[in-house]
Amino acid sequence: MKKRVFNNKQKNIILCTMAVIIACIMLFPIYWIVVSSFKTNAEIFSSPPTFIPKVFTISSYTEQFVGKDSIVIAFFNSVKIATCSMVLACLLAVPAGYGLARFKMRGRKVFIIAFLVTQMLPVTLILTPMFLVYKNLHLLDSAFAPIISDATISVPFVVLILRTYFLALPKELEDAAKIDGCNTFTAFTRIMLPISYPGIIMTAAFSFLFAWGDLAYSLTFLSTPAKRTMTAGIYNFMGKYGIQWNKIMAYGVLLVLPVVLIFIFLQKYIIGGLTNGSVKG
Amino acid sequence: MPWQRHFKSKRVKEETILKNKYTREFLREEKKGYLFVLPALIFMLAFVGYPIIYNLILSFKDVNVMTFSKSVKPFIGLKNYIEIFKDPTMKTSIWNTFIFTIGSISIQFVIGLALALFLNLKFKLAEPIRGLMVVSYLIPMTVTALLFKFMYSTSGGIINELLMKVHIISKPIGWIISGNTSMLSVILTNSWVGIPFNMLLLTTGLSNISFTLYEAAQVDGASAIQRFFRITLPELKPAILSVLVLGFIYTFKVFDLVFVMTNGGPVNSTELMSTFAYKLSFTQFSFSRGATVANVLFAILFCVSLGYLGLIKDEEVIG
Repeated sequence: MKKRVFNNKQKNIILCTMAVIIACIMLFPIYWIVVSSFKTNAEIFSSPPTFIPKVFTISSYTEQFVGKDSIVIAFFNSVKIATCSMVLACLLAVPAGYGLARFKMRGRKVFIIAFLVTQMLPVTLILTPMFLVYKNLHLLDSAFAPIISDATISVPFVVLILRTYFLALPKELEDAAKIDGCNTFTAFTRIMLPISYPGIIMTAAFSFLFAWGDLAYSLTFLSTPAKRTMTAGIYNFMGKYGIQWNKIMAYGVLLVLPVVLIFIFLQKYIIGGLTNGSVKG
Repeated sequence: MPWQRHFKSKRVKEETILKNKYTREFLREEKKGYLFVLPALIFMLAFVGYPIIYNLILSFKDVNVMTFSKSVKPFIGLKNYIEIFKDPTMKTSIWNTFIFTIGSISIQFVIGLALALFLNLKFKLAEPIRGLMVVSYLIPMTVTALLFKFMYSTSGGIINELLMKVHIISKPIGWIISGNTSMLSVILTNSWVGIPFNMLLLTTGLSNISFTLYEAAQVDGASAIQRFFRITLPELKPAILSVLVLGFIYTFKVFDLVFVMTNGGPVNSTELMSTFAYKLSFTQFSFSRGATVANVLFAILFCVSLGYLGLIKDEEVIG
């Protein structure tokens, strides 16, 4: 009996060590982007490579904040576009998810399938026609273009996830609210929305991340450098500075930082969302 | 008997009244439902449905930078399709898209499954490490692409340095700048992004397998390998199927990763249908040609998506 406990403990240690090694290999690229951003340009190209910077410098970061194409402008553009797109997507999609979960209606299956299929569409399919449409509407080179197009990615995602979420909530709650004098809409806004906040936070976070990480729309629809987002910024940065990898990596870290912060604060919602959303379409 | 008939007709009347009442209520409910759903639906129709149709029309016309400002653009029928399939770059890009997709989903599925099985063993760090792995899935693709471009580079690239240190290679390989290895390089990068996704879905599948099955097998004296092939794999089949099909759909349409890493080069060796369509529309400004390529990509994806919907039809997804 005692021996067996010892064996289990040993097994646990072996498994944990293996897991840590695997995680280190898998996550090495993330370590590398951070480390490289603190190196000098000479050290980047030194052979053998250094795993901890010999000369620790933050100049790759400080340089991003000065000058004409300062990262600050791109950062606020990204925040603006991602936030607006998130708000737009949630305003449209939260009620739709609720409607599809709670009401019997003709065409419901068709709507759900339509939302499922739009999730699978390639970005390039929408890119050419929307470019011409925005051009005709004079929306090209305005923030509205990427905001709208980013929202088309999030809307089906939010609708489908929140539909399964609303389906799982007990219907009695609404009935009780109606007896207490709520109508359909106040029951939705006063009862259903507040109790489904974990689902809404999670889908809102994802809508933000979709728009935050988008390159194709902002690069294609926005031509003025001062209006561009961080993803377009880092892409052009590469074209301009070529192989100054420390600067590019520093830009990358600044671009990833909000994502990591969101992930840390909303971890429990996000991991649940990843599995839910994908298994159930 | 007359009274019987009378009774019968009364019952029918009552039934129709009941039915009407039900329909009225149904209609009222339906109206409310539509009020909730319609805004999102109209938005999607305007900004996704309409562009798809517009794209189709574009592909039957000749719209490029010369004809764009003219109000009437000529219909040219299937000419775009015929010409695009004569273009050797199109053939290369179709071939590449399939290689890229099948290569990526094979690698990320095998590693994802191995990781899911490993982290499914009960030990202390399993849960936090699984959570940590997801981070690579959340990094914006543009950053991942640039990071790997840096790691693959011939001077200062960590991958070449490490391989040289352990004497697998004697001089740096031009991973993404040589036509022989560029496809492999982008496939490996895309797999790195896809592994956590595969792992998470398969973990969910694994957690649904009843533990009693394994206990019974153990009692019957089945070995670990037998247990894997006779219980785990068959029970995991629905999860595996959906991971592979979803993986196919998401990989088939990848754009930004390849666009940033190689932009289809060198010499079209990583040109996918998505990057080719972009190039036609936005560097050569032949919008109709770009739309045509995008339509071919869409047609293939659409068929696979329909297959996927057929696959999940039995589950409560749509219900």
